[in-house]
Amino acid sequence: MHETLSNLPLLSGLPAQVLVVLAMVSAGGIILGCIAVGGMFFIWSERKVAGYIQSRYGPMYVGGWHGVLQSLADGVKLLLKEDIWPEKADKPLWRMAPLLVFLGAFLSFVVLPFGPNFVGANLDIGLFYVMATSSLVVMGVISAGWGSNNKWALYGALRGAAQVISYEIPLGLALLPVVMSTGSLNLGTIIQAQAGWIHNWHLLNPLFFVSFWIYVISSLAEVNRVPFDLPETESELVSGYHTEYTGMKFAFFFLGEYADMFVVSAIGVTVFLGGWYSGIPALDVPALFPLIFILKSFFLVFVQIWLRWTLPRLRVDQLMYVCWKVFIPIALANLLLYGVIRTVLS
Amino acid sequence: MVKFVTDIWDTFSTVFKGMGITARYMRKKPVTQQFPEERWALPDRFRGFVHNDVPRCTSCTLCAKACPVDCIYIEMEGKGKDRRMTRFAIDYNKCIWCSLCTEPCPTNCITMSHDYDHSVYLREKLVYEFVGDPVIPFKPKKAAREEEAEA
Repeated sequence: MHETLSNLPLLSGLPAQVLVVLAMVSAGGIILGCIAVGGMFFIWSERKVAGYIQSRYGPMYVGGWHGVLQSLADGVKLLLKEDIWPEKADKPLWRMAPLLVFLGAFLSFVVLPFGPNFVGANLDIGLFYVMATSSLVVMGVISAGWGSNNKWALYGALRGAAQVISYEIPLGLALLPVVMSTGSLNLGTIIQAQAGWIHNWHLLNPLFFVSFWIYVISSLAEVNRVPFDLPETESELVSGYHTEYTGMKFAFFFLGEYADMFVVSAIGVTVFLGGWYSGIPALDVPALFPLIFILKSFFLVFVQIWLRWTLPRLRVDQLMYVCWKVFIPIALANLLLYGVIRTVLS
Repeated sequence: MVKFVTDIWDTFSTVFKGMGITARYMRKKPVTQQFPEERWALPDRFRGFVHNDVPRCTSCTLCAKACPVDCIYIEMEGKGKDRRMTRFAIDYNKCIWCSLCTEPCPTNCITMSHDYDHSVYLREKLVYEFVGDPVIPFKPKKAAREEEAEA
């Protein structure tokens, strides 16, 4: 991006280091804007979907048509709210937590491949990087729980830590067969392996079918969505790790959660659902790539919202059972099976 | 081992079944009524705020006498042809929506309306004044004669 900036007449005289910094700041600004707008859109759509599933309308007034600007109004409200500090909070951790949660989601956006040339940073270890940054979220959750000096928050944080750390394993194991097949961790390369007709998508490959379901379910646990939203069970823990947060700090938790939903959906689309390819070669025009990618990711986000308003949440022991006694053995067996089949076939 | 597999099958089948149910509800029209814009059709004999149709009021004070809580205030001035009604007020702080005032009314001008959402911030504002400038009370016989003359 800094090459583009150096071509601008106004900035051409600047040294290269300054241009790199400028490029970073502007790219970060664009991503931040996208996350904020996208997050507000997801919050609005969550409320609308929840409404219609429960035979009601959801927000209807702010912004004219079906309350589209409701999230904006809520954002303004949160900005203007008093920032309440628990007296005995661990201040540095407490302040850092919302930023860490948001950062985890924010950093992952850097590598999301919206198109062949439409990537923040085309890293060769893109998938690994996303796995690493998305586990940064749990650091924020733990520091929020510890820093709040509140029993509910601490319970929520501990549950969150146990859950996210457990579910990273099946998540990674589910992605491994695809990585073995494409021989790359680069998200662009993984998508290019699925070019052409829809049957090239990894989802429709019988070898990766199990992986896809393990990925989708584990990713729900990874972003603390129903039925795995134990860190914030409102019926027992008030609101879990963000019980003590108000105003903009709470908004950052909220925005981070919805941005994370988009990230796991986008990775699911990249690895299993053909990324920016539509599945019909005639439609694969470079101009349409970002649109196709975003639409597919939105669909997976919609499925997450749909699930939230369908299922009750699991108990803690059931959660751990599903992870350690169902997903990990199956994912390992799947990995082994894929390795054997690959060796035999080659 | 068999149970392990059937459990997984049950999980997926029941989750998809549940998602099917919620998807069906998602496509249905919501039952919500957008209140201020949309309203229920009220039954004919619904007792809302009492309304007085002043041009037909003879100021006979029968309603005020019938009222069990004395919430209707009627004041008059002058005698004979100069008789004027200066005040007809209903205090809804007191009103019990019993509809007893509507029964003795000779001209049926005091009725139970279908209005029910008159909330106010001050209780003084719940005393509704129906008469501004003094009005000549309605004369049923005179009105009947005029009607005959017109016909």
